[in-house]
Amino acid sequence: MREIVLGVKGAIELLLSFDQEIYQIIFLSLYVSLTSTFLSTLLAIPAGIFLGLFHFRGKGIVVRLLYTMMSLPPVIAGLVVFLFISRKGPLGFLGLSFTPTAMIIAQICLITPIITGLVYNGTKDKGQHVKMLGKTLGANRFQTLILLICELRLNIFTAVITGYGRAVSEVGAVMIVGGNIKGRTRVMTTAIAMLQNMGDYSKAIAIGIVLLFLSFIINGVLYHFQQGE
Amino acid sequence: MKFKKSKIWSILLALLLVVSLLGGCGQAPSESPEDTGEEPAAPENPRVIMATTTSTENSGLLDYLLPVFEEDTGYQVEVVAVGTGKALQMGEDGEADVLLVHAKESEEEFVAAGHGLERFDVMYNDFIIIGPKDDPAKIGEIASNDVVKALEAISESQSVFVSRGDDSGTHKKELACWKQANIEPQGDWYVEAGKGMGDVIQMAEEMNGYTLSDRATYLSMRENIGLEILVEGDEQLFNQYGVIAVNPDKNDQINAEGAQAFVDWILSEKAQKLIAEFGQEEYGQSLFIPNANK
Amino acid sequence: MEIRIQNLNKEYEGHRVVDIDSLTVRQGELLGIIGPNGAGKSTLLRMIGGLETPTQGEISYNGKAYCSEISQKMTMVFQKPYLLRTTVFQNVAYPLKIRKKNKKFIQEEVHRILDEMGLTAQKYQKSWTLSGGEAQKVALARALILKPSLLILDEPTANIDPSSIAVMEKMIKKINEEEGTTVIIVTHNLQQARRLCKEIAFMYRGKIKEKGDARRILYHAQEPETSAFIQGELLI
Repeated sequence: MREIVLGVKGAIELLLSFDQEIYQIIFLSLYVSLTSTFLSTLLAIPAGIFLGLFHFRGKGIVVRLLYTMMSLPPVIAGLVVFLFISRKGPLGFLGLSFTPTAMIIAQICLITPIITGLVYNGTKDKGQHVKMLGKTLGANRFQTLILLICELRLNIFTAVITGYGRAVSEVGAVMIVGGNIKGRTRVMTTAIAMLQNMGDYSKAIAIGIVLLFLSFIINGVLYHFQQGE
Repeated sequence: MKFKKSKIWSILLALLLVVSLLGGCGQAPSESPEDTGEEPAAPENPRVIMATTTSTENSGLLDYLLPVFEEDTGYQVEVVAVGTGKALQMGEDGEADVLLVHAKESEEEFVAAGHGLERFDVMYNDFIIIGPKDDPAKIGEIASNDVVKALEAISESQSVFVSRGDDSGTHKKELACWKQANIEPQGDWYVEAGKGMGDVIQMAEEMNGYTLSDRATYLSMRENIGLEILVEGDEQLFNQYGVIAVNPDKNDQINAEGAQAFVDWILSEKAQKLIAEFGQEEYGQSLFIPNANK
Repeated sequence: MEIRIQNLNKEYEGHRVVDIDSLTVRQGELLGIIGPNGAGKSTLLRMIGGLETPTQGEISYNGKAYCSEISQKMTMVFQKPYLLRTTVFQNVAYPLKIRKKNKKFIQEEVHRILDEMGLTAQKYQKSWTLSGGEAQKVALARALILKPSLLILDEPTANIDPSSIAVMEKMIKKINEEEGTTVIIVTHNLQQARRLCKEIAFMYRGKIKEKGDARRILYHAQEPETSAFIQGELLI
């Protein structure tokens, strides 16, 4: 118990003193996760809407694949990306191994299916109705699409937040492709894993507090918007 | 009223976004060396990837040395800390530019197989056996500087012993000691962790058991754990570090100049002196003994 | 708008859900379609509304086939309101917004129709907080604001409170009489049919069994199935 209390005390001191190393780690985490969430969203929303609205041959398989990918273990995403971008791999010439870019790529692989799946589900339920509504009110295709996105905005928002939550909290993929390099690819999750390993509880708890706090804010925003419904 | 609340949350979120993007963008390694005239021109490819062991990174030596290296040469070293086995594999795969490990035999094989250009002695530290204060196997009494005797006592009393179990330099050293003692460690008391030094020390602490550790990692964690040094000083426990530049023929990405710059630098008098000074202030003893060109 | 239907049928998995030789709905008619569940009434409406394509046959609107020009002139109201996730005002304004009417015009029209239907108080309320009757009135307002040439309604007042029903019937009658809108309404409420409709068609097993003046159908139906249905004897 004493360990924990000391740890928390030390953590608060570190945070308040704006320890550069810790804040560097925090910002890098945010940068990587927000970027990957943003890019994933660009891919996932059209994909999810398309899947929800249209039928095509082999759709069943695609959907089943999508659901599988949604619960893809992060370490696998990390492993696959690493195999591709490592110097030995086919994309080695890009020089991406152990960079934040690689981490972003791995996270994109991880959360795009999640956001797509959630948008797909929302579209599946509402899409037909909106399409029908658009038709009966005289909207053209583009207007109907805009209408659909507006109607689905809560679903989309939830999907994006969920994706972000997954990205910022995973450790396996970013550890593998990033290497937890100090000052370069060390993010909150990999830092906590390493610090615990080293017995540096104060720092680990400090970062843990920030991570929790961030989750709290993000979920607070989501909750607030959901309550507005 | 309703408007205000949602506005606050939205602003918060937007702020978070902006701050982190700015902060994150500041991460780009565009820290160009200051122009003070005497500084060497910034190298074309300043990125040097070093594969080393977790125990080396955890000791803090690199945090101490590398900034000086970066200032002197303009190269930025990115340290990937893994087990010795993985570090050597990374060298073999050409994923790293330079290796700093402590497994001399494996290192020599590595160079002989053509994966590295040449191997040099850099420094050594020593291993110690640490264990619980109450020392159930009594090794502190009967074998305080005899590792073979200590292991015999541990094995006989079936006291918990946590092994690295991860093919690291420390692990290889541990296995070599068991071999010397003619014991094959087996049974519930012998725990193979498959993790880094810090983790293993934690585990030994939790299980109230013994483990073989490098002095540096133990000292850096000493404040937080209750285990004590029980066996030290046995010649067998000396741990030699070597530096190897990876063979640049492996692929286009290898920064051969950077790797060589590091090798030259760490063998230089300046670096060797720094190594000797490391730890003096905090622990009153050198954690590493420099021995390049000796 | 005048609707002419020839040899129209719709099949689902080999089963003919709608099978109509010919049906004409004249300009300005207020036609009620009655019949038991599964008779094909909703499917017929959806085909007329352009939401489903017939397996065979033609529907012509003022002599033309279905196209975007025609679709802009007609609108449909369903049993469930399907309101947009926004305010009442925005819902009713939507059809005008997408036709790029100017702001002032939209304001005036929306206020006018909301006032007429007794929805002034709910103007800025979120659509999902409305009661059933209020929501359905909004759906109707949204349909009527365009002053369509053809208004199709599929059981629009099922499960609605009587005062809302009265308002809706008043608006439907009004647009039919004042604007000459052709109205086709499916209803299970025979009293409603009597109040509203000028003509009634009885549909059974995909076919139109009888069509004619509303009073005549309700009180002196010629076909046995028609009178059986109107008298409340279950038809399978």
